[in-house]
Amino acid sequence: MSAASVVVDETRAELAAAVRDARAAWSRTTTLWLLAFAAALVAPAVLPLSGRMPDLAEFVYLALAAVGLAYAVGLAGIPSLGQGAFLGIGAFSEALLRAKADWPLVPSLVAAVTITAAVGVLTGLATGRLRSAFVAVSTWILSWILLLLLTSFPGISGGAQGLVLPQATVLGRTLTPTAHYVVGVTLLALAVLALAVLAPRAPGLGLAAARDQRRAATGLGVPVARARLGAFTASAVIASVAGALGVELVQVADASSYGPAVSFKLFVAVILGGARLPLGPIVGLLVISAFSNAAEQIGAVRGLPPGRIEEMLTGYGMLLVLGLGGAGLLPVARDWWRSRVPPRHVPRPLPPVRELPRAARPEPLRADGLTKAFGSLLALDHVDLELLPGRVHALIGPNGSGKTTALKALVGELVPDEGTVRVNGTELGGSPRARVLQGVVGTQQATAVFPELTALQNALVGAGLRLEHDGPFRIVFRTPKARSDERLAEQKALAALHLVGLDEPDRPASELTAHEQRLLMLASALATEPRVLLLDEPAAGGSAVELDRLVELLHELRDSGLALLVIEHNLRFVRRVADEVTVLEAGRRIASGTLAQVASDDAVKMAYLGRQKLS
Amino acid sequence: MVGLCAVLGGCGGGGGSGSSKSVTIAVNAPFSRAPYVGQTIADGAELAASKASVEVNGVKYRFRIRRYDTGLSPSIAVRNVRKAIADGAAAIVDEGTGVDASWQIARDKDIPLAVTYQGGEGLVDAAKRPNVFRVAPTDHGISYRLAEYVIPKKLKVALITDDSSYGQEGAKALDEAFSQNPESVAVKLTVPADSPDLAPQVLRARRAGATGLLVWAQPTTIAGVLSAARSSGWKVPVFTPPTGEDPLVRQQLANHPEWVNGLTFASGRPTAEVGAGPFLAFQRDLENRFGVQLVGVKTSDGAQVVQPPDYAMYSYDFVNVLAAAIQRAGGVSDRKKVLAALNQVSVAGANGDQRGFNERNHEGVVDDDVYFAKFEDMTYKPVKDDPLSATLVPIEQRR
Repeated sequence: MSAASVVVDETRAELAAAVRDARAAWSRTTTLWLLAFAAALVAPAVLPLSGRMPDLAEFVYLALAAVGLAYAVGLAGIPSLGQGAFLGIGAFSEALLRAKADWPLVPSLVAAVTITAAVGVLTGLATGRLRSAFVAVSTWILSWILLLLLTSFPGISGGAQGLVLPQATVLGRTLTPTAHYVVGVTLLALAVLALAVLAPRAPGLGLAAARDQRRAATGLGVPVARARLGAFTASAVIASVAGALGVELVQVADASSYGPAVSFKLFVAVILGGARLPLGPIVGLLVISAFSNAAEQIGAVRGLPPGRIEEMLTGYGMLLVLGLGGAGLLPVARDWWRSRVPPRHVPRPLPPVRELPRAARPEPLRADGLTKAFGSLLALDHVDLELLPGRVHALIGPNGSGKTTALKALVGELVPDEGTVRVNGTELGGSPRARVLQGVVGTQQATAVFPELTALQNALVGAGLRLEHDGPFRIVFRTPKARSDERLAEQKALAALHLVGLDEPDRPASELTAHEQRLLMLASALATEPRVLLLDEPAAGGSAVELDRLVELLHELRDSGLALLVIEHNLRFVRRVADEVTVLEAGRRIASGTLAQVASDDAVKMAYLGRQKLS
Repeated sequence: MVGLCAVLGGCGGGGGSGSSKSVTIAVNAPFSRAPYVGQTIADGAELAASKASVEVNGVKYRFRIRRYDTGLSPSIAVRNVRKAIADGAAAIVDEGTGVDASWQIARDKDIPLAVTYQGGEGLVDAAKRPNVFRVAPTDHGISYRLAEYVIPKKLKVALITDDSSYGQEGAKALDEAFSQNPESVAVKLTVPADSPDLAPQVLRARRAGATGLLVWAQPTTIAGVLSAARSSGWKVPVFTPPTGEDPLVRQQLANHPEWVNGLTFASGRPTAEVGAGPFLAFQRDLENRFGVQLVGVKTSDGAQVVQPPDYAMYSYDFVNVLAAAIQRAGGVSDRKKVLAALNQVSVAGANGDQRGFNERNHEGVVDDDVYFAKFEDMTYKPVKDDPLSATLVPIEQRR
């Protein structure tokens, strides 16, 4: 068989698999989406819209910018008030290149998007570590800076008359408002589709996890900073495309069309319609357009400026949304509809046998001389620890003895002042993600599940760590490798859930009991395929029956070859699970050994146990 | 479909029946951001539309005005022109914002576009922009007349412009007008248009040795400069373009009427060689239709101050020229003919002047038709130290 025929056969097989997957995933909603898209495309041909095409095309571009903003606000939880600025940067880059440098349409479009992407990356880097309120303020300031820059330099903005662009042509044909509309609708559909595809998959789940529980997401190896920067930049890039094409449509760029007012309008549209549903921003923008039209009518009748009436109506709309819980109009409508017509629930088949997602390669973890000081407080003082495969090691000690600090140093959440952490002799990377990739994962002391995700999605956040083909582009374009990876990740996540005894994968995490949520944290950690598992107070909040089950589970994990570290105050629980015990006191290791050895240690009795018995 | 409906909003356009046809004229002006300017332009156009009588082959043409608010934004202005064309407008009476982009959209449909307020250079060019006309004094005319009036007084003026689009255009015009006499300029300053306090900038002008202020800016900036200068006891002469007569200046200084005294502005002359009669008749007609345009301030003896409708006459005149062109073209069905006819007709303007255009000149107001008026007790009178202004009859502004 020739190489060419092999390629043809493989391609044919992949296409057949893609068709099978598409058929399996096809639903009534998909058909409705396709019909809506087709109707929007043919509308100019069948409706008397010729005079209204510029307005419609402009609306579509604005909707594109609003959907772009949902990547930052809805997907990543970044409250950006700078979308108007990115729209403006795209528009003015395009206008300057076209009007002053005589660039053709496509190269100027590419340059405008590149320039905006660069500004987006820089802004994202600058605001990445800020708290939400400061991100909102910083991006709002960016909007103002752009406006002030443009008004201060009429050479850039074109002054009173704006910057006038020549008529755009593509392959010798003029880009008419109808062509703009078709391009805009297509781009809008792609942006919505990409958002709909990404949100429930690895990149979206990672961002959702980081949005709700940043520390826990980081602990599961989600590259939070990179993912948030990506979402923010994507948002800016989509805005720049909308801005650049929008200015080609209007053929004049003027400063007043961008900046804070537009940023605010887009933000309100996203919040009003619902930031976390792909169609939410479009619904929000439609509502604002309806307000605008109503304001014009009221203004004409009452002789009042329509702008103020529009602002007032928009304000009432926002109050209504906040009164309804803040999720937006579309989610409220969806929930109302679901309360009347509950969606059909197709139970997911669980794995036939309980097993670890993948057999972990047993390897020991060794920490030497871990030292960490917070100012004058020495939280860890040259602590040594060794976690062996197939053994449960308990770390105990009074409150403030440095147990959690030690765990944070082991998982990379804290950089120790001194000391090293090695697995099988190899020193571990510094970041939590690097350590999770090397097989060291921990769970947190506080219950930290991702409440807006289902149990399965929580576990998928962990299972997504080792996917090799989980780039946004592969996922959006549903490449065979991406689809295969997704299937594998789902199997791992289901296996992890099954292993800890959570057999309702589609149940929202927020509906689980406190103990179940701790089990879910454990499942998410297991889905990362660890070699060393570090558990901070896993028994907290569990009933006697639940603790019996947990002990059994930890023994199973131990027997599968995992090295386990358990930080726990419940000494009864420690007695039942631990093979070895280390006792910390005031940051120092005061004893280490088997239960019996530690229990008989006078220093331990004096510092910690008192009248309690460890063995 | 819901989206389409929401975006579409209202629709309009001309219509006709049997022996009468409706002709829509769009007024594209900043009604929300500069209400005086927008209202003035619309009132003039509306009055002319109500009076214009065109009958061709037994078909009577009725004119109606449709307003579009630009908010002083070029892109909104362009959008409005598109909308007006979709609404079936036969002509556009425009304040001037965004015309650099909108004229082509109007040209593609052979629709005339008349600028009736802004005087920016390059807006009107009969050869390159055959569908753009202007009935308003040009920035060039105003700036040169201001230079010609101020320089012989041996003043060293501070040229103050604000960062609004209007101010930026003014800065360009003043630079050119004063380029031959740089010794007359003490300093050039750009101030923020929305600043509540301009005292530092005015102080800077004073320290630069200015003995006169020429403020080309929005009305609020002019009021701010006057306020800053007078409150510090500086009785410097202040000169402005037509924005100085905007009621907003006097409204903002209503508590200090003495600060307005002496303010001198340049504007298109409202009366012509034939005397004040035609303009007063026009003003009476306008007041009968829309009521007296009160400034909102009173004179020292308690009389209400009214605003003469000098800029309203420009839009009024254009609509009348358009009506004459439609008559000559035999209706509005052939827009090219109407456009061509606009270069061939002329009418008696509101102030008695002949208004009209030709193929080479689309400026309806000549540069020399700029006069100067000075405020005294919240009303203004033509100055006596300028030959053209001295011949003009003052328009009564007290009621």
